[in-house]
Amino acid sequence: MMATDQRKSARLDGKVAVITGAGAGMGKAEAIFMAERGARVGVQDISREAADATAAEIRKAGGECLVLVGDLAKPAESARNMAEVEAKWGAIDVLVNNAGIHEFKDSEQMDEASFDRMFNINVKGLFFATQAVIKGMKARNGGKIINIASTAALVGQAGSPHYSGSKGAVLAMTKSWAKELAPWKITVNAICPGPIMTDMVIRARGIEGAKKRAETEIPLRRYGEPVEVAYLAGFLASAESDFITGQAMAINGGTTIVGI
Amino acid sequence: MGTAIDNRTSASLDGKVVYITGAGAGMGREDALLVASRGARVAVQDIDGKSAEETVAKIAAAGGQAFAIVGDVSKPEDCKRMAKEAEAKWGRVDALVNNAGIHERRDLEAMEEVHFDRMFDVHVKGSFFTTQALVPGMKARKAGKIINIASTAGMVATVGDAHYCAAKAALLGLTKSWAKELAPWNINVNAICPGPIATELAVRNRGWDGIRERAEREIPLRRYGDPIDVAYAVAFLASSESDFITGQSMPIAGGLAIVGI
Repeated sequence: MMATDQRKSARLDGKVAVITGAGAGMGKAEAIFMAERGARVGVQDISREAADATAAEIRKAGGECLVLVGDLAKPAESARNMAEVEAKWGAIDVLVNNAGIHEFKDSEQMDEASFDRMFNINVKGLFFATQAVIKGMKARNGGKIINIASTAALVGQAGSPHYSGSKGAVLAMTKSWAKELAPWKITVNAICPGPIMTDMVIRARGIEGAKKRAETEIPLRRYGEPVEVAYLAGFLASAESDFITGQAMAINGGTTIVGI
Repeated sequence: MGTAIDNRTSASLDGKVVYITGAGAGMGREDALLVASRGARVAVQDIDGKSAEETVAKIAAAGGQAFAIVGDVSKPEDCKRMAKEAEAKWGRVDALVNNAGIHERRDLEAMEEVHFDRMFDVHVKGSFFTTQALVPGMKARKAGKIINIASTAGMVATVGDAHYCAAKAALLGLTKSWAKELAPWNINVNAICPGPIATELAVRNRGWDGIRERAEREIPLRRYGDPIDVAYAVAFLASSESDFITGQSMPIAGGLAIVGI
């Protein structure tokens, strides 16, 4: 009846996962979680200090990882980062395109530099990070690409048109790549996190502010934890999701219920 | 960062009670076997007692716990009775998988009222009243997981089975509405939309050669899914790892039906 016999859990033993922007927030949680599930993890970040801190947590828990420092807005740096991982571990099985930036800036105030910076990191950065791992995944006839988009791509967010636009682009690339790369058994999916209690949110709103917003705006009446996004990323990184591709999973406590 | 959940090695279902409708065959049976292997006790509901007992026997043989519940989900009074049987047995139902369904092809012009009604009675009324019967317990415990098995047919439709497509789309509507209604009690409601899955029924209908041919031609990943591919998603959505996901639909379709969000 079934070809797969891997019923105990979505383990990642023996897999190599690279997580961009793994120095903080959701990326950090994803890196730590995937290491706990058995993956060797490439901890990529623009900040060495942040990446080192994540790596230290992984190693303390007995996990294996490699710190990668690079600026995603520069395709050559992604290529260098990914080549380093392949040289060390021979493969990249999972890429989590998590790195991204956000800012509020009205359309009238938008200057070209702000616009370009947003798309350079969130779209171009993600594109060329992916390009850098595709060759190896094709050669091995398998791979998992997980793009972290946002509910902003689904319903829009006032005051950050370039952010919402960039995340919309991420969703469209997810769908296009899913079709392009399916012949090599490479699955491509997106995660759209909603309100997640990252350090950035705590700084911006304070815990009390976040709690208040949760009571009034989030059906489940709380923010999500970064590790909850990591659980979903872990599922999409594992063999358990081998027949899922081209999809976007929203994780937002019920705030955004749209589309299918 | 930090989290209250300390359950990182697997999406374990230890101690949970999972109620699965239509668990006597196909995807429902596979769901039952997988969640049992992850530690859940399973209420194996089916209209056919013999097939429900077979699923129970398979679970027992693997060292799991399950029992059979027999009845017709299209009858609300059966739904109520069956829910009571499950709650009497184990005192609770933590997760409900509304999986029971039927399929037939019937053109618009050939449709009779009886066919139309049967399709909606099983999928829509069946899921509705099974859920209604189990929600009070979930509310009382302030926790629950409801997983509706819809279909890619409910998203993008197929030809010649409009009543099936519409019934599955109705399930997506129930999913979204219930997610909002039940969120204050920490009850998550999500849907799974399986695409082409090689169930026994599909194998009987097309044969393996027919399946392979269609897969090559139409499915980006070039294969049918296995029932276990759906079961993995069911187990994830039944576990605490999906506690912040509600009101969503997860298509499992090998790259077919890339639409919507």
